[in-house]
Amino acid sequence: MLESRSGQRVLTGVHFMLGNYAVAEGALAAGCNFFAGCPITPANEISERMAKRLPEVGGHFLQGEDELGSIYAVVGASLAGAKAMTATASAGFNYMQEGLGYAYAIEAPCVIVDVQRCRGENFATQSDVMQMRWGASGDYEAIVLAPASVQELFDYTIRAFNLAERFRNPVIVMSETTIALMRERLEIPPAEQIEVWNRKYTELPPADYLPFKAPEYGVPDFAPLGKGYHTIYSLNPHDERGRIDWDPDVFERLYKRITGKIRENRDLICHTESYHLDDAELALIAYGSEVRPALDAAEMARDSGMKVGVLKLATVWPVPERQILEVAKQCRAVIAVEMNIGKYAGEIERVCAGVCPVHKATRNRGLIHAPEELYQFIQGVWA
Amino acid sequence: MSMRPVNIRFCGFGGQGIVLSAIIMGTAAVTRRNLYAVQTQSYGSEARGGQCQAELIISSQPINSPISERKDIIVALSQMALDRYLPSLREGGTLIYDTKLETNLHATSAATIPVPATETAISLGNQIAANMVVLGFLQESTQLITREDLVQVVRETVPAKFLELNLKAVEAGRQLAQGVKLEV
Repeated sequence: MLESRSGQRVLTGVHFMLGNYAVAEGALAAGCNFFAGCPITPANEISERMAKRLPEVGGHFLQGEDELGSIYAVVGASLAGAKAMTATASAGFNYMQEGLGYAYAIEAPCVIVDVQRCRGENFATQSDVMQMRWGASGDYEAIVLAPASVQELFDYTIRAFNLAERFRNPVIVMSETTIALMRERLEIPPAEQIEVWNRKYTELPPADYLPFKAPEYGVPDFAPLGKGYHTIYSLNPHDERGRIDWDPDVFERLYKRITGKIRENRDLICHTESYHLDDAELALIAYGSEVRPALDAAEMARDSGMKVGVLKLATVWPVPERQILEVAKQCRAVIAVEMNIGKYAGEIERVCAGVCPVHKATRNRGLIHAPEELYQFIQGVWA
Repeated sequence: MSMRPVNIRFCGFGGQGIVLSAIIMGTAAVTRRNLYAVQTQSYGSEARGGQCQAELIISSQPINSPISERKDIIVALSQMALDRYLPSLREGGTLIYDTKLETNLHATSAATIPVPATETAISLGNQIAANMVVLGFLQESTQLITREDLVQVVRETVPAKFLELNLKAVEAGRQLAQGVKLEV
């Protein structure tokens, strides 16, 4: 991998750091060596930090002319072997969908950070949660991680790179204004304690290499552009050799593999955390910054004798169905908490159908829930 | 050290170093006292009209909700900010405000402490150091962080050409707080 020329790649120690900076530091710790992005609030501090830090460690920073240029630069860098990332915010994320769809189809590992915003400004929201799953055309499965703190912005960005490399898939870090523009305690461990995964490179010479050959739900070995492996990376249906082929069987085999490689590995990809769930009769299910007031509300409920717990979805896509179902089987009801019109709540309803009722504590007015509001909601459901 | 979360709001207008004050206090608490802290600021178009506010929570335990509408301490450096944010002071909380401001506190039982921050900073050579006077005052009166913590973080944060002025302002703020003890 690239060596650092100057400056440290991993800033081991205790920091009081801005969330957007923590994303940049997580990327560097994961081995990121290419960043392209176009200015947009509230994601700008990620670009600002990468512009300063990447050259210090031998990486490359590109200010894209727009979002589409940025995502394609990231895809190109990835195909040349770089660990590449871009960052944007809701409106900019719209523009990236085309390039993102291409990255899924050609299996280019990369990391995209969407710092969600609303009311056209820097207000809190989680309203892009569905777009992060299937915003682009075509059949694919997304991996989306939802950090809830500055520490998790760092940790999950590393994890995003690892999953991108492992599955040759774009991975989205679902950030939010709330945590992106927050300063908080961040502990960066020593470099040697940070687990870093790298994509598997082919050992075959160019003459024998088939760029998209893989087991039924597997990940093909990688060969970088510029090293004599003349791979065609096409959005169109392609065979193992990378040749465009419109045959329905070729098409079906391709999309079944690129969706199956994610679906069949859900146990490795999906992370959840449980709080007070052991004896819970009622559970809040939350992701991202909304986990924070949910935890406070559950503790307030516990203090009042109500057995309430929290299931935190660290992975939002693919849906951690097994973990949600376990909670549904144990509880009288669950409460879906999110900062939008109730988009992910629909997924929770699907998983819990016929098992337990789902109540929705959802809203989208640019404000994170206050613990007291969720506590009142719990009281209403508990009674 | 175990302590209850302390909620502080710094408010004033853009250019007074409001956000920087919260960052310096939070940095000292986290990196030198090994505490937890969360800092946020208003960052909408409304803030560009001149108003600026930063929130800081300091605790010995991890902090969940990043917002709290019941502040233990409000530091106000402008009249508009004071009028706007005073209702968020909890009952029994403390208002620290610049002596050039007027306050009408009949609706609250809060303690009020006028601090001649701007006046002191001007006497030291530049009114932009008023925030450092307040930081010195907060440090001495709350003891949430030590004098050494504050001085060290100011040294690491402030541009070299303003360092001497800022350190003098911190010291002046500490002197103003002699004998003042805020329960946190």
